[in-house]
Amino acid sequence: MIPLKFEVNGHAVATEVAPSTLLIDLLRGPLALTGTHAGCDTAQCGACTVLVNGASVKSCSLLALQAQGAKVTTVEGLAQGDALHPLQQAFMDCHGLQCGFCTPGMLMSSACLLATNPRPSEAEIQHALEGNLCRCTGYVKIVAAVQQASVAMAGAHA
Amino acid sequence: MNAPMEAQRFGSGQSVRRIEDPALVTGQGRYTDDETLPGQTHLVFLRSPYAHADITGIDVTDALAMPGVVAIYTGADLAAAGVRPMAGVPFPRPDGQPGATALRRALADGRVRFVGEAVAVVVADSIDQARAAADAVVVDYNQLPAVVNAFDAMAPGAPALCDAAPDNISAGMSHGDAAATAAAFAAAAYTVSVDVDNQRLAPSPIEPRAVSARVPASGPDAGRLVVRLSSQMPTAVRGGLVDAIPGLTPEAVRVLVGDVGGGFGMKTGIYPEDIAIGFAAWTLKRPVKWRADRVDEFLGAVHGRDVVSRAELALDADGRVLALRVKGYANVGAYGTATGIAIQVLIGPWVSTSVYDIPLVDEQFIAVLTNTTPTGAYRGAGRPEAIYLTERLMDAAARKLRMDPAELRRRNMIGPEQMPYKNAMGQVYDSGAFAQILDQGLALADWTGFAARRAASEAAGKLRGRGIATFLEWTGGNALTETVTVNVTADGYIELGSATQAMGQGIATSYAQLAVDVFGVPIDRIRVLQGDTDRANGFGSAGSRSLFTGGSAVSVASKKTVEDAKTLAAEALEAPAADIEYLAGRFNVAGTDLGIGLFELAARQVGGRITATDGATAGGPTWPNGCHVCEVEIDPATGEVAVVAYASVNDIGRVVSPTIVEGQIEGGAVQGIGQALCERVAYDRETGQLQSASFMDYALPHADGFLGFKTAFDTSIPCKTNTLGVKGVGELGTIGATPAVVNAVIDALDHAGLGAAAEAIQMPVTAERVWRALHLKQFDPSPYQA
Repeated sequence: MIPLKFEVNGHAVATEVAPSTLLIDLLRGPLALTGTHAGCDTAQCGACTVLVNGASVKSCSLLALQAQGAKVTTVEGLAQGDALHPLQQAFMDCHGLQCGFCTPGMLMSSACLLATNPRPSEAEIQHALEGNLCRCTGYVKIVAAVQQASVAMAGAHA
Repeated sequence: MNAPMEAQRFGSGQSVRRIEDPALVTGQGRYTDDETLPGQTHLVFLRSPYAHADITGIDVTDALAMPGVVAIYTGADLAAAGVRPMAGVPFPRPDGQPGATALRRALADGRVRFVGEAVAVVVADSIDQARAAADAVVVDYNQLPAVVNAFDAMAPGAPALCDAAPDNISAGMSHGDAAATAAAFAAAAYTVSVDVDNQRLAPSPIEPRAVSARVPASGPDAGRLVVRLSSQMPTAVRGGLVDAIPGLTPEAVRVLVGDVGGGFGMKTGIYPEDIAIGFAAWTLKRPVKWRADRVDEFLGAVHGRDVVSRAELALDADGRVLALRVKGYANVGAYGTATGIAIQVLIGPWVSTSVYDIPLVDEQFIAVLTNTTPTGAYRGAGRPEAIYLTERLMDAAARKLRMDPAELRRRNMIGPEQMPYKNAMGQVYDSGAFAQILDQGLALADWTGFAARRAASEAAGKLRGRGIATFLEWTGGNALTETVTVNVTADGYIELGSATQAMGQGIATSYAQLAVDVFGVPIDRIRVLQGDTDRANGFGSAGSRSLFTGGSAVSVASKKTVEDAKTLAAEALEAPAADIEYLAGRFNVAGTDLGIGLFELAARQVGGRITATDGATAGGPTWPNGCHVCEVEIDPATGEVAVVAYASVNDIGRVVSPTIVEGQIEGGAVQGIGQALCERVAYDRETGQLQSASFMDYALPHADGFLGFKTAFDTSIPCKTNTLGVKGVGELGTIGATPAVVNAVIDALDHAGLGAAAEAIQMPVTAERVWRALHLKQFDPSPYQA
């Protein structure tokens, strides 16, 4: 077991993990952050996407130890207190989710996109979400939700 | 008994935010794998690496001695413990003999019949220990020849899947009038024929199956088997466990379902895995949990479709269809099941004449056993296969008659004055105005403006094609009764208890809207309780049945609750019951200012609640229908197909939740586009190995490439066989999209100079197939070999 110190959703975490432990298993198991989902085990579906130092990362493909010293954000850390993130609000407003299983990954990939490209085009959103599979929505309303969130966030910053 | 304010805001017909969503967007959903049971053990399945083999020995000695291992069970262990095999085939073979299948067991005993069939389970303290021990189980196999294709399986000398059927024919069914159909074909001015492979698909909800099972030592469930899993049909799972595991009664089993990460039919009924896990927990009296890896799902979850057909249409000189003839061979996998076979030999044929007035049919379907994963329900389940044939034939006929494909369809449509209409399969449509839907679909798609768009595409170096599908489907699974229990609680909630099952479709929100219609309270006062066989039992959610059966029950049970509560209010207010009026959460004595709140009234009752139960039975299935028009662009350099416009007008009767049904149509359509363009389960013909066992090899639609969706509804044609007037919506998009897209591709290839030869292209219409057709005039040989 190897000591691991990092930050999850703003909270300092100090723990020990086996060298082979994946980040997703640490999050879902000992840290009980079950909003991050395992859907495919081969880094195709993106349901496990989290932010590591602001970048969207598939947590099924990262060793927990690779997060040493990093700031990790999961879907549970997206809202600011009781205030939902504009993406969470937009997904609800636009019916951007059905079963909700892919949704945490969609939100985290979208959050990464909007942090780097605040006003993406439809095509840019589609491209950014290529690594996230959804079987329910056909993506149409997910793309619309990300667009709405980008407008809302631009308004908030104006 | 109405409540204008709240009903106007949250009642049926209004677009509301889903009540499911706040938890799901914040990571607070509770899917089965999110729950950790105290003292839980982990189970993994050891699966056959061979498509067909005899198990000559299993040695678990070393594995059992490994750290953390709690137990290992093989098929022989389960058989010795009296675990019974699963149900067989209720349909006869074409020769009149009983339907044939090898008996399927939770774990294979003696012989494996497909790659991935489970042969043993390992239970250990940790998942890693279980996996390591599974690797240490030594299974000796004597490999047998395998067959993965229906025609190969029927060929003389093919390896037989079961002793009762040396020809591998599990079951078959014939419908219609073969002689009269033959005569119509002989006399027809025109005939057209298509050979079609409705390829095998993997349903692929993003949440893999997960099951936990425990036998609590104390508490209210002490001594019972409590199973929690991701399922559309909790009651069927309970029944399947009781049927298989000795010593269990329905009362001794509780099945719970939490959030379900997509179903699409794949999570219906009992799986062998459920039985093995239930057996392990029941035997060990310890909590056992399993989460499927994605490869478990590709190997072990049911596949959908997989039927190869020759379909023919006879028409008179004016383009009136005289008869439809279909012969289909369905590859149902290694074990025949009632569901897998009914889908192909019965449910598909029921809708095969679709929205058209076709007087004669001759349909013959054969279900064939092969060394592949068994097939079962997948969104549409038989209707996509049948409608695909009919809509391909309509386009082929239009091409041959040099007629507008929309006009040919209109000429053959059943008129609203013909309702109720009995089709050639004996199915009765209660309502439908198909030409009206067609007109709106053509307008939404700007049908007549296509030439200009094609010219613009061509100017940009692309080919453009346009495809249409007008169609209907049958929903409800012939399970037409539902009961709902309403509890009004002292703490201010109205609980709706139902045996239907949420799986992402938003049914809780739709039910809540129907309850708001009656109670006139804010929607956040409504709670929908599902997924507990101790609370409610029934068919579950499948076949687009929930709203018209369960929703009708919500409505009548809510009304009964208000009526019952009026009596209680009369007592509380010391007034005659006839004088009590209900409005928006309050009972009043007419003409006075005397009154009492609904929840306050509940607080005064013994137990602090008002409870009423009532049910509804629909008078028949529903027949949703639509007109879907797709335009594609093809890049001639690569053969890549892009869907650039997709317009649909849908008749689903009265609409309760407009945004939700839009999502159902769009999401369903993209699944149908997946079949048309990219998805295919592939097996190696010689070895029977599954070649598409991950999302790297199985091409699910991704986010890019879906633009220009326009989705509309005509709500003026209510269903006449249920009190709400609603029709099922869950499968409509999937059924319409596949033929609309492929017809568009064929239209583009025809226009590029291939003519009717383009009709030979098969699904999935990959870039490679399109490129070969365009540049080499080369097509795959016909998949139909009978």
